[in-house]
Amino acid sequence: MTMFKVDINGEKQIEIRQGQSLYEGLAAADIFIPSACGGRAICGYCKVKVTKGGGEVTPQELPFLDDGQLNDNIRLSCQVKVNGDISIEIPKGLLAGRLYKCTCSDIEELTADIRRFRFDLVRPKVMNYVPGQFIQFRTPVYFEGGEEVYRSYSIASDPADKSAIELIMRRVPNGISTTYCFDHLNVGDKVTVNGPSGDFHLSDTDSPMIFIAGGSGMAPIRCILNYMRNTSVKRKAVYYFGANKVNELFMLDEMKQFENDLEDFRFVPVVAAPDANEIWTGLTGLVTDAVESDLKNAADYEAYLCGSPGMIEASRKVLGRLGIPEDKIYYDSFA
Amino acid sequence: MKNTPEMEKLDNILRSSRIVAGGFMGQDNRDVNEITQEDTRTVEKLGYSLKQVADRMRLITEQAKKSLGVPVEIDAKLTTCVDEAKGRIVCPWPHPASFDKRLTTVKDIDTGEDITWSDLHIHLIDEHGFFEGRGSSMRIEPEKLIKLIFRK
Repeated sequence: MTMFKVDINGEKQIEIRQGQSLYEGLAAADIFIPSACGGRAICGYCKVKVTKGGGEVTPQELPFLDDGQLNDNIRLSCQVKVNGDISIEIPKGLLAGRLYKCTCSDIEELTADIRRFRFDLVRPKVMNYVPGQFIQFRTPVYFEGGEEVYRSYSIASDPADKSAIELIMRRVPNGISTTYCFDHLNVGDKVTVNGPSGDFHLSDTDSPMIFIAGGSGMAPIRCILNYMRNTSVKRKAVYYFGANKVNELFMLDEMKQFENDLEDFRFVPVVAAPDANEIWTGLTGLVTDAVESDLKNAADYEAYLCGSPGMIEASRKVLGRLGIPEDKIYYDSFA
Repeated sequence: MKNTPEMEKLDNILRSSRIVAGGFMGQDNRDVNEITQEDTRTVEKLGYSLKQVADRMRLITEQAKKSLGVPVEIDAKLTTCVDEAKGRIVCPWPHPASFDKRLTTVKDIDTGEDITWSDLHIHLIDEHGFFEGRGSSMRIEPEKLIKLIFRK
């Protein structure tokens, strides 16, 4: 069997079997390039920069690459067949990712369609991550015709506890991974995750902060708030958490506790349209409207967003009107 | 008629759970061409084109998107709202197309009858005439859809 050398970022070398795809070869070496389709040139997410070798761009890649990317030798790693030595560049954080065997140790129903899952790390036993990062969860085949798929979820746990991770998932109708987790996964089951990955993290400044999240977007914000408490971060922060109904809010007591634990922190839950039979004395309306009416000028702030694409888009518009520059608005790139 | 290798590959993807849990075909044993042809005929018999149907669905979704999950009224006859999740979903056909994971639910104010579609559905109907196979949990019946979204 012929093996070829793959140089990664000039700092790590691995060997990949001739004919194997770069994506598969990297995964075999515990380097997981984010992908939504598992390497079938359907999603176009698994891009890497190939600086040496790699052959010609294939027709399957062309629809996913613009002229700038083609000029920059960006390729879909799932379509690069290894038939010679290759040099590539990938985000540095992906080199730190590893494969983790875990055991599901707790499942908590937070709302009708949101659950918290806790996974104890079995091998390796410890995960070091930056609060705000995500892992890729490997969903096993759980019915006929299925395939293993990977889905990204932000780490929701207290980073001081390195022996386990918690994820907050919202059920997606017919979603492969959430259907597995909600309908098939039980406490005691073994699962595999890889990571950590992602650049969403608290900046190293003293600027005041706005957090905006909805639904399972709570996950990375909860992790960051735990980190702020653990490390005595004194930055001013306000967290707007939106839901459509009162019964879609969760972890309210825990968030309120952060108001006591952190030096200058406010938690502002906002319910868009409480039902007539729901008792709610907090803010009502869209979370973005609440932000705009609560903060008249936020030019000095940084913003951290996690939620649906629509919520992020609407939040960016509002934050722009409040004076926050675009480069001070951070959100999950995998959203 | 014998299917081409490309059609067989597409059929396999549609019947598998590679993109959505349970696949797109349900218990429908017909091939994808038969399904799309029959549903397209149904749409045309009702006096519409696939494009008209998809355009109306797109318009409703766009109106619903503005309210971030809170129901809004359309023409005092329907309410609609969207439900979004993180991530994107890809088209099973062999071309690059991916969509936000967004579900739009439309409800008839008088009868309570409702239909839910995804952004991917709009594309599947518009580009491929595909409403999903019979028995698929996300299949949209063309007659029911047209009756609801073009309600007079």
